Amino acid sequence: MQEGWEVLVLGPPQARPLYEAIGRSLARRGAYAVFQLSPDGGVGAVNRSWVRHAPDELVGTPSGIQAHVLAECDALIVVLAPENTRDASSVDATRYTQARGSYRHAMQRFDADEAPWVACHFPTPGLAQEAGMATDEFADFLYAACLLDWDAERERMQRYADRFDAADEVRVVGEGTDLRLGITGRPTEVDAGGTGGGVNMPGGEFFCCPLENSAEGEIVFGEFPAVYRGREVRGIRLRFEAGRVVDASAETNEDFLVETLDTDEGSRRLGELGIGCNPGITRSMGNPYFDEKIDGTVHLALGFAFPQFGGKNESSIHWDIVKDLRPRPVPGHRASPDDPGGQHNGGRIELDGTVVQESGRWLV
Amino acid sequence: MKDERFRPYADLLLDTCVGVQPGWEVLVLGPPHARPLLEEIGAGLGRRGAYAVFQLAYGSLIGAADRSWSREASVDLISKPSKLQVHLFEKCDAIVAVDAPENTRDGLSIDADKLAAGRAAYMPSLRRLIAHEAPWVGCQYPTPALAQEAGMATDEFVEFLFGAVLLDWKAEKERMQRYADRFDAAEEVRIVGAGTDIRIGVAGRTMEVDAGGANMPGGEFFCSPVENSAEGEILFGEFPAVYAGRELTGVRLRFEGGRVAEASADTHEDFLIETIDSDEGARRLGELGIGCNPGITRYMKNTLFDEKIDGTVHVALGHGFPNLGGTNESQIHWDIVKDLRDGGRIELDGEVVQENGAWTI
Repeated sequence: MQEGWEVLVLGPPQARPLYEAIGRSLARRGAYAVFQLSPDGGVGAVNRSWVRHAPDELVGTPSGIQAHVLAECDALIVVLAPENTRDASSVDATRYTQARGSYRHAMQRFDADEAPWVACHFPTPGLAQEAGMATDEFADFLYAACLLDWDAERERMQRYADRFDAADEVRVVGEGTDLRLGITGRPTEVDAGGTGGGVNMPGGEFFCCPLENSAEGEIVFGEFPAVYRGREVRGIRLRFEAGRVVDASAETNEDFLVETLDTDEGSRRLGELGIGCNPGITRSMGNPYFDEKIDGTVHLALGFAFPQFGGKNESSIHWDIVKDLRPRPVPGHRASPDDPGGQHNGGRIELDGTVVQESGRWLV
Repeated sequence: MKDERFRPYADLLLDTCVGVQPGWEVLVLGPPHARPLLEEIGAGLGRRGAYAVFQLAYGSLIGAADRSWSREASVDLISKPSKLQVHLFEKCDAIVAVDAPENTRDGLSIDADKLAAGRAAYMPSLRRLIAHEAPWVGCQYPTPALAQEAGMATDEFVEFLFGAVLLDWKAEKERMQRYADRFDAAEEVRIVGAGTDIRIGVAGRTMEVDAGGANMPGGEFFCSPVENSAEGEILFGEFPAVYAGRELTGVRLRFEGGRVAEASADTHEDFLIETIDSDEGARRLGELGIGCNPGITRYMKNTLFDEKIDGTVHVALGHGFPNLGGTNESQIHWDIVKDLRDGGRIELDGEVVQENGAWTI
């Protein structure tokens, strides 16, 4: 944050205490807080009440004044504070996508991380409910995940990331899983609160765009459901050959999985390999923003790759799916002297044949 | 608050007040508490093929001058407007501003010099709107705070508000235009009442009838009087004068050559003097208005309503309306209401046209 900056603050009304703190903090730094709250949050000109009733041609055309403020602000703070995480369901999804998409050009600086932005969460009852938690419990979780010593976290993650940068191949081994990914020449980006580019809060991962035709082997996402566009898919199994998914199955919603993989040319290839490292996030929240940061997990994204990190894969999807590498209890197991652990073994990560993480714990 | 009348209310704002056209980009301002009305406005703009650019904020109608920010920002920073905000104000096709205070005294936590600096900073970008070259409407949403301020239960206030806004505005316009024509033909308005005998020149100045325009509820007609004409004294003894969260009782102003030569008040006299010393134009009148809304019969401690009370007049210190020939410039525009229903009268060039709040013409 620099003196004189005009910072656009987008979000829904529910996050008031956070907005007031943001307003005060920007003022103290000599910067402008340009609040543009709206009933649903996000882009102020794209709200449910309007999208439902506006004519088709208008929905796909951006408002000039809205595009201007997005294109000209010095920084953007997006507060995610849904009142009901399923509110979008009353509007035709394609109209919503179209309306938001019409501002893509105005948002291009942010997509390319050329202007600073942050997307963060405020602990609403809706988010807590989605995570299966009481609201106060969720608030404690959220603050623990966000209010970390990010300098120390950055240093720690950078240490791991440097090892990835020096390696040619990542191997992920676990239950039903043995997958090799080439990363030669692909830089690893550490998300530890961010400076300069865009960032999600909570942060706590590092990621890269693997070589598009390198993935070989199989991976099972058996620990957490994979959520995409409001659908939950369990027990996803993907087999890769030369970077491409050649065989896919799931225990639930398999049709949706296959349909999504067939969206376009790039949707069967990987756009991202990420490693979750946030010590404050230890369980799945059913929310990819949080889940991909769980300490001891890896995630793969099918589809779009980040060009600023050397990624070449193009696709209209970017679906992050998280795999847990920590040991976990066997369902229904009761500890006994013969079998005190009652845990599935965790998985491991190898770099060029050296084990760097085992059962979710770093060895480097 | 679900109420099926928010839909006709939104229709009234968009059609009668603003006259929304397809393709317009309409800036929708207000605090989130007004959500049921804001969503009807969003839907109404969508149906009319116009954009609803929401810019809600908690503590101010100006999203870039929210209370949380203004409290901490330096006067220097507040004096320089945000370019993003200026662009929104200058380029939008219309503004719908919904006033829905959560606490009508929230302005008190900001220093007066900061409030003044913030208003002055955005004044140039609002010029089109102030000059009525671009349409806008300021309207009210029934919050508990407004009800409380008016001394009413919230549900009672809801009924009052809809009673004051959902009128036959065509008929009201006709009726008010009849009175306004008489004012237009006159040279001098004299207002006589308790502690009051003031003469205000209106020669060559035109009355504007507000029957669903920039304010909702409407129900007044007004002009910018001749700047150096006001002579005499006026006592606002019936209702307190409210400005920037302060409540002033017993405001008494004596005018000479159009300028306040002497001012006193029973409460907050310092604030009164400070405010009329804001700038060169703050001691002169920018407006003379006559309240005519039949749905508004009692004082609400809310200028937007009170200046419309049938049987009252109001004068505003400060900025005049250039589109109505007003030449006074000031960063303040403070409407103060005087009740004429108990012993007051209005004369035009010596002829009584209203007595005890009832029209005689």
